[in-house]
Amino acid sequence: MLSSVCRAVVSKTSHQLRSICRSAAVASDKSFVHRDSPDNNPDTPFQFTPENLKRCETIIANYPKGHEAAACLPLLDLAQRQNDNWLPISAMHKVAEMLKMPRMRVYEVATFYTMFNREPVGKYFIQICTTTPCMLGGVGSDVILDAIRENIGIDVGHTTDDKMFTLAEVECLGACVNAPMVQINDDYYEDLTVEDMHKILNDLKKGVKPKAGPQSGQNHRFASEPKTGLTALSEPPTGPGFGVRADL
Amino acid sequence: MSLLQKFANIGKVIKQNNGIVGTYLKLFRIDAFKWGDLVGEDKYGNKYYQNNYYFYGRNRWVEFPLSVGHDYDASQIPAEWHRWLQYICDEPPSQLPLPKRKWMADHVENLSGTDRCYVPYSTTRPKIEAWVPPKRNS
Amino acid sequence: MLRLWPVRQLSRIQNALGLTQTAFKSSQPAPAPDLVEVFIDDKQVFVEPGTTVLQACATAGVEIPRFCYHDRLSIAGNCRMCLVEVEKSAKPIASCAMPVMKGMKVKTDSPLTRKAREGVMEFLLVNHPLDCPICDQGGECDLQDQSMAFGSDRSRFTDNAFTGKRAVEDKNIGPLIKTIMTRCIHCTRCIRFASEVAGVDDLGTSGRGTEMQVGTYVEKMFKSELSGNVIDLCPVGALTSKPYAFTTRPWETRRIESIDVMDAVGSNIVVSMRTNEVMRILPRLNEDINEEWISDKTRFAYDGLKRQRLTTPFVRNSKGDLIPTDWETAFFDIADRVKNIVPSSIAGIAGCHTDLETLVCLKDMVNRLGSELLCTEESFPMINSGTDFRSNYVMNTTIAGIEESDLVFLVGTNPRLEGSLVNARIRKSWVHNEMCVFALGAPVDLSYDYQYLGDSFSVLKDIADGTHVLAKALAEAEKPMIILGSDALQKSDSNLILDTVRSIAKNAKKASKHPDWKVFNVLHRNASQVGALDMGYQPGVDILKCNKPNLVFLVGADAGKLTEDDILGNSGVIYIGSHGDAGAQMADVVLPGAAYTEKDAMYVNTEGRAQIGRQAVSPPGMARHDWKIIRALSEILGVTLPYDKLSDVRSRLAEISPTFDRPGRAEETGFEDISDNVVIDKMAVKGTEAPVAPVLLKLRDFYMTDPISRASPTMAKCVQAYDESEKNPYSRPEAS
Repeated sequence: MLSSVCRAVVSKTSHQLRSICRSAAVASDKSFVHRDSPDNNPDTPFQFTPENLKRCETIIANYPKGHEAAACLPLLDLAQRQNDNWLPISAMHKVAEMLKMPRMRVYEVATFYTMFNREPVGKYFIQICTTTPCMLGGVGSDVILDAIRENIGIDVGHTTDDKMFTLAEVECLGACVNAPMVQINDDYYEDLTVEDMHKILNDLKKGVKPKAGPQSGQNHRFASEPKTGLTALSEPPTGPGFGVRADL
Repeated sequence: MSLLQKFANIGKVIKQNNGIVGTYLKLFRIDAFKWGDLVGEDKYGNKYYQNNYYFYGRNRWVEFPLSVGHDYDASQIPAEWHRWLQYICDEPPSQLPLPKRKWMADHVENLSGTDRCYVPYSTTRPKIEAWVPPKRNS
Repeated sequence: MLRLWPVRQLSRIQNALGLTQTAFKSSQPAPAPDLVEVFIDDKQVFVEPGTTVLQACATAGVEIPRFCYHDRLSIAGNCRMCLVEVEKSAKPIASCAMPVMKGMKVKTDSPLTRKAREGVMEFLLVNHPLDCPICDQGGECDLQDQSMAFGSDRSRFTDNAFTGKRAVEDKNIGPLIKTIMTRCIHCTRCIRFASEVAGVDDLGTSGRGTEMQVGTYVEKMFKSELSGNVIDLCPVGALTSKPYAFTTRPWETRRIESIDVMDAVGSNIVVSMRTNEVMRILPRLNEDINEEWISDKTRFAYDGLKRQRLTTPFVRNSKGDLIPTDWETAFFDIADRVKNIVPSSIAGIAGCHTDLETLVCLKDMVNRLGSELLCTEESFPMINSGTDFRSNYVMNTTIAGIEESDLVFLVGTNPRLEGSLVNARIRKSWVHNEMCVFALGAPVDLSYDYQYLGDSFSVLKDIADGTHVLAKALAEAEKPMIILGSDALQKSDSNLILDTVRSIAKNAKKASKHPDWKVFNVLHRNASQVGALDMGYQPGVDILKCNKPNLVFLVGADAGKLTEDDILGNSGVIYIGSHGDAGAQMADVVLPGAAYTEKDAMYVNTEGRAQIGRQAVSPPGMARHDWKIIRALSEILGVTLPYDKLSDVRSRLAEISPTFDRPGRAEETGFEDISDNVVIDKMAVKGTEAPVAPVLLKLRDFYMTDPISRASPTMAKCVQAYDESEKNPYSRPEAS
């Protein structure tokens, strides 16, 4: 009786308290307005390296004349790869200049796609998937996230002081069968356990590149095959003419 | 009141106003055909009379000085006499002067309609800012 | 970027709409073989194939609610407000983006359509603040109106009562446009306007989903001479006018239809007035001139009408100072001055804003006094037939005619700043009709690509001789246009330029396959110029510099073309005008006149189109209508003009030229061939071969060009903001 009254009071008060704070929920940890900073401003030096410049020319040549703007996405990606995994505003300007596009059109592309990092990131950019399949699959992404926090000592959205790691929480990266998983720069690390996660991070700190792909979570499987062996396509493939009428 | 008394009053009025001509002039100037006791005079020359023979409301009156001519009005009566004339108090200020405070300003009559009248100034900006020609010789 | 096939498709659709509207007016179902039959609410309509459902509904007289769709912009289809039900379609369709199909049955008022609109409106209002009481768009807000007409009275989205609505930070895009980006519903009309019409790709969307923002991403000024139009385009209160902020509500104002005088385009405007004060200026639709846009100077210079105004007559005293006085004294003072001089040494100069009524009164009065010295401030070379033929000095093809042309050659002009809406037409034609543009003058940013031919006179000569590549292009073009800027003709050596351009135009016309097509056009800068030339004023003050007049009437002449040295003796300068500027400062008697919003007046634009502007407010203080001042003065001077009423003056105007009697029409000019052959003085055609260059080069020069815009604080702020933006690295011109 008393406990139910208490519960009622608490829930009512919490309801009230909640409605005192009226600031809007933030849907993204990124800002969609550019602010000049010492390391990201229009005077930040950015030039494509000669070999990347050659690549750019090849990419632009893929598209018909007058439609060079189509090369915006690959060029921005190239710029980001060249520039320590992030895209300064001067790089956007450079791309706009190369493709004869208005700068605003390049800003639109760069802000639309979340894989363009418009602020500097660490040497290893860890993206942990926390969408439902990863949250539920294997040991669950929650413990993996805790393991990362514990190992490198930063929270989501931050970069370590030595500029080695940046941690970001992302939505589905399309490796649901191998949940939980993280993406570190271009590599997927799947079927993770807490030990795997620590090992990967420690290796990275030491400068050793850990093996990408499925880890120990499902006994180091090759890809995403079932634990108990194949359930389909288990026999050798049939030859030509299989199942065809004899008279044909 | 007998008719005789009324005639006697007429006589008193004429006598107080120095004859028939004086009475006529007074009547012409301030519309008053009255006799009474002079209660006092203020520094502006207004003379205050009282006669309880007339009924309440008409038994106290003021005669403005000749110097103002016909340009007299109620605002020329100073505050201390105003209170006696309007029956706020019984004793006229000549008998019971009001305490003089240092913040009390001198009485000023209402100046509306004269060239010394009060004109408020606008605090809003004009809708149109007029051009001011530059001085050539400065 | 814009010259791609979908945009051209759009123009075809719009042309189709024009055709279908006429087809519908005949109203009989007599279908042309290529028309598509559609049913709008069971009403049969025949439209061109390719018409959108929304336009087909418009033909049937049904207006579909919309936010993102706009007639003059490309189709975005992102607001979803125009959803309608189409029979045999599983879902409601976005009518603005869907072309009609044969036998389509559209239901614009079915339960499904209504539910769809209600749903869209509910979504839009999830994040739109309900701050209508403090919003400047209140009363003329599309969202407000449409939520009243099509929305629900409640929302099912109650969670934002706890989390709050989306909030977006405001942008600073200059001193003209105020942004309250939380109100933005992402219709992208402003972005499309900036990139398609204005040609300035500064606006865009950044981010996506809930976090999407309309803006510039980096902090910079929206630098365009047409930027104010996004205020009208914005269906909500996200973009509002900064100078007009929090002043009036639309239902408090009276709207007076008038004509703009800031340039020679003669844009049609609506003046919003409250309590005898001009509150704002909006564009008025006129397909032949300004479509529905106006330039920033037209829109925002109105606060110059409230500053530096002449409100009383002034007479200069013996010490040399101007002393305020009354009309009578001022008139008698003038009479004294006139009495003592030779009548033939009286002169009149018309300034940039002078209306036809004033021009005719001044001319008649000065003529009656016995003088022929009447001129305009802006000069124009008097070679060959001079200004005797209209075709010599107007824009013969008309502004709407630019859209027919396939080649434009700009000589010594920066149309973007001299006639912003002429430039908008050229850009429109450049985008939709594959027009080629060549320019001789300064390498300025015209918002479209053009071939720059340098600024040297020898190029013109080469073209005239046929040795230049452009000569061939002009000969091959279907309908070439040559637009000669009045700016390039201001120097004393401009005779040769005009002569050469005339001969180029003559050659091009000879080669043209369209005998009625006129090649030669002049783009003027002053609203009064064409009217004054029509009336027989001499262009330019050179005639006065030779003749040294004794007494000069300056009617709004503030360009400072005439100096005190040009006047003989000290008998005087009489200034009649609205603003205290250069003219009033040198004057001996100043008579306060009315500005363009304060009088019923006619103006002739650069096409030669006479238009009537209506009086919105009364002249301030003792100021009077200019023509009435001159009429009254003529009586004092003993040469009473024979007209007392405005209608009398208008009849007098009609006597001078029939074009003045037909307001709103651009009369077709003729006699080009004759005018080329009439040679009055062959010796006059000489001059040094100086570079041909316009005067207005940067947007900074655009804001303050005449007495009204020079007195305007808003325009001063624009100049200041421009100077500051020069320091902004993001405002540097982009390489293209």
